[in-house]
Amino acid sequence: MTNPYQQQQQQHNRSNFDSLASGRLPPLSTRRPSYASVVSGSPSAQARPARSGGFSHLLNPSPTAEPPAGPESTTQNPRFDTSMSYPYGGTSNEDGSYRDGQDGGASASAWPPRIGTGFPYFSRAFDLYMNKDPLLVDDLTGPGDYRFPSVAPNPNISETGFLAPSYLRDSVYLQKLEEKHKAKVLAERDGAVNSDGNNTSLKSAPSSSSLSSRPAANRNSGHLPTIGTKAAGSSHRGVAYDVVERPTPAPKEADDGLSPLPSGWNRDDKEASLDILGDGYEVRHTGRPMSDHEASSIRANHYMPPACGVYYYEITILGGRQDKVNNKTPPIAIGFASTEASLSRAPGWEPDSWGYHGDDGHSFASQNVGKPYAEIFGVGDTVGCLVNFRLNHALYTKNGRELAVAFKDIPFKDIRGNIYPIVGLKKKEDHILANFGQRPFMFDIDGYMARQRDAVADQIRKTDASKLVPGLSETELIQQLVLQFLQHDGYVETARAFAEELYSEKEALRLDPEETIQGISIRDDEDANNRQRIRRAVLEGDIDRAMKYTESHYPTVLRENERVYFRLRCRKFIEMIRKEAEHNMLLEEQRRRSHTNGNSAIDSDDEEMLEAEAANGDDDMDTAMAEEGDDVHGTNSPPALSKLSHEALVYGIELQAEFAGDTRRETTAALDEVASLLAYPNPLKVKEVAHLLDGSGRVAVAEELNSAILTSLGKSSRAALENVYAQTCVLLEDLRKDGGDGAFVTVDGIIRSIPSPKLR
Amino acid sequence: MDSSSDSDADSSSQNSSTSTATPQQHAFEKRADGVKAPKSDINALILDYLTMEGYPKAAAKFCKEANLQPQQSDSSIQRRQDIQYAIHSGNIHTAISALNDLDPEILDTDPKLHFSLLRLQLVELIRECNDTDVTRAIDFATDNLAPRAAANKDFLNDLEQTMALIIFPHDNLQPELARLLSSDLRRTTAIKVNEAILMRENRRREAAIRQLVRMRTWAETSGRSQKKDVPETLELGLNTDGNEYGETSAEPMIMT
Repeated sequence: MTNPYQQQQQQHNRSNFDSLASGRLPPLSTRRPSYASVVSGSPSAQARPARSGGFSHLLNPSPTAEPPAGPESTTQNPRFDTSMSYPYGGTSNEDGSYRDGQDGGASASAWPPRIGTGFPYFSRAFDLYMNKDPLLVDDLTGPGDYRFPSVAPNPNISETGFLAPSYLRDSVYLQKLEEKHKAKVLAERDGAVNSDGNNTSLKSAPSSSSLSSRPAANRNSGHLPTIGTKAAGSSHRGVAYDVVERPTPAPKEADDGLSPLPSGWNRDDKEASLDILGDGYEVRHTGRPMSDHEASSIRANHYMPPACGVYYYEITILGGRQDKVNNKTPPIAIGFASTEASLSRAPGWEPDSWGYHGDDGHSFASQNVGKPYAEIFGVGDTVGCLVNFRLNHALYTKNGRELAVAFKDIPFKDIRGNIYPIVGLKKKEDHILANFGQRPFMFDIDGYMARQRDAVADQIRKTDASKLVPGLSETELIQQLVLQFLQHDGYVETARAFAEELYSEKEALRLDPEETIQGISIRDDEDANNRQRIRRAVLEGDIDRAMKYTESHYPTVLRENERVYFRLRCRKFIEMIRKEAEHNMLLEEQRRRSHTNGNSAIDSDDEEMLEAEAANGDDDMDTAMAEEGDDVHGTNSPPALSKLSHEALVYGIELQAEFAGDTRRETTAALDEVASLLAYPNPLKVKEVAHLLDGSGRVAVAEELNSAILTSLGKSSRAALENVYAQTCVLLEDLRKDGGDGAFVTVDGIIRSIPSPKLR
Repeated sequence: MDSSSDSDADSSSQNSSTSTATPQQHAFEKRADGVKAPKSDINALILDYLTMEGYPKAAAKFCKEANLQPQQSDSSIQRRQDIQYAIHSGNIHTAISALNDLDPEILDTDPKLHFSLLRLQLVELIRECNDTDVTRAIDFATDNLAPRAAANKDFLNDLEQTMALIIFPHDNLQPELARLLSSDLRRTTAIKVNEAILMRENRRREAAIRQLVRMRTWAETSGRSQKKDVPETLELGLNTDGNEYGETSAEPMIMT
């Protein structure tokens, strides 16, 4: 069967390429191929692959375009029009007017759609485009069914399937989720080979690797019951049917309080007359009859985590039958509910359930009787539901516009369990698509979030810090914190300079010349001096000197702190390697210069070094280290290893021998790590290991040693300023658990506001 | 120095402040101990403070001792410090001309700041003349402050309050008037000027450590009011090491 759209496709080909250029669509390979499940799970659904939607306008770039020649085309055409704007959050109305979601709905009739603008002709989108399948056909829908493609590009989902809605990117909760996700991905990569398909509900199904590596055409044709594809696509259908991907049925959450964000509708938590289409974002009513006061509801796969502070999602009404008699919009409802709320009732009618209904514009707060709330909504509208855990209220948005607060003083604490996004549909063909943050929202939620953050930051700014230590103003308190830190950590010179500057400040402020000013004498503290000397040595990379001082002033410290001792020894090895690497770099530079100058006179020592360097590259030094030191001079190695690398080698062998008995994973891992430095001719140039040589490693060792010395002297290993830091972190953690103010600020945010100081 | 007795004394003082006072460590303290307060973060806070609040010598030493690159050049910290010093010492005229040298537009764009400085200058003139010859102060007020105050109600209030200093004897003033003559006004004005310069230089108003300290205060207050599990007293540990260090740091040093 020939493709009735092919002609048109080509016709519009060229004109659309230019506008395709901005590349808003993510790489196709990252898309989740769950069409399979759609096809297999609900054959009548006729879902089209999401991706196709992004290109639907290519097929039919203007409402006035001629209907393509072909038997089905005439009837199909109206639906094409309406589906055009979809993928980017835009919606279209029955009259074909157009809203662009990215512009907050302001532009009423942007045409041609800005969406889908964006591929260079050689991009993979082109493959898709060149794919001969008609993308958007559907034989089921009646009038008023707005067939939007189910999966638009999801720019907020990472390649490994991590969902990061823009408004939560600064939140601790999302950062923790991401860490957990990364750890999981790593663990799975390391571990089971077989289970790579099911690691997250968002990740590709098992066969996706083969699918995704193939041109998109196969996927489309295989999974889509579209006209004209049957012949071309059938061969892949078999594959597709195997891939029944179920969204993870809300798993028992681990007790770490880190539940994933809602990322799709839950197949196992819906009323039977609803179907999930596409990638799990679309829900449609199948029309199975119900009694009149019932509705069919579905919850998302995860609850709204209160610790986010604010949770927001949007739905777009894709289809629904207008009640012609009463001129009513379809009875679609959106809200949030606990798992206690019955799914055969509309959101808001049940205890622990709240909803906003499109047919009458009423809001329902856990009861049958609603209150007039806002305007009605219907097909083509995008409605958002925003739960603010900080202010204990919820509000809605319509087409990007913020509506009034719908529910005040929500008793979150009394709700059994957590609350989930929920929608209720009632009539056949009622059809919605949700955005759980995978795509930009129509509403400016980022701006809303920023206002929340500002409100909390404002409270903090107005806080009077003189309460913290009675008798000290904020300025005095900070001066003391700084001075105490400087002394505690052995920054003797700084402490002295600071004390002098504070003294002269006090002197300037003195009004009565008779008044005596109490100076802050930084006592010539032997101990602080010693610690500063030791720190200096470590920071300069002179580990021997540091160890010598430590031995003579604090003889017990290294004996009692095996870990610190071990770290120092490792660092010494690293410093040796570093020195050699730097030396080699220098020689290389010299050699290059002499080459370009045509000057071949390199003195013999340097030659030796260079040869040694070359040899180092070939040798497997890991094994060399394990062998006797003499073997280094064996037949395979050049006789003249540079003095530096020879010393490093000998030292490395000593180090290995000394800690050979220590089988703790930590120790062996550290030893392996430093030993790996020997494997490279110039580790400074190898980014996998260069970080080991980094100067920041010195700081870490120096601080660890300083803490050990302080502890051995019976002093707190932490200065007051460090306590302030740590206590604040813990307090904020408590304050953000239930989504309160703490969810909107972090200590890290303060640190990040400082232009990052660099190590010299 | 007898280090053994010293460390004994110290460990006992530490015990009394932590373990002895609360024999069982509160869950909160355990959590706080588990929090990493990275030295790099703390060092950044310190350098930021010394730089922003204008302690050029300490900032330079700290860069050296902690192996950090300066956040700002010594001279730019020094320039701000010079202005602060002038304000602290009551040489407002010097401060204003130094400020104009540094940034000729700063006072023009910020009438409030300019007025604060002029008003402080008036206070200093009143202080100097001390009941004897007030004409200089009155002339200054007439020439410099009155035209500005005419257009702004806040300015007018401030001016009226300041002029009251001329009338009342200084040894028995109402607290709010006495405050004008204390060093607080110099200090707060100096802070305002410094913040204004910083805002124009790098768009940050104040040192990050101030936000941290306020956040700590705020978080404790909020935590308690929300009945979070916070120990009765939350020690900063500011004075536990006191005896070990400077002679005066056993007691909070009073800086006023």
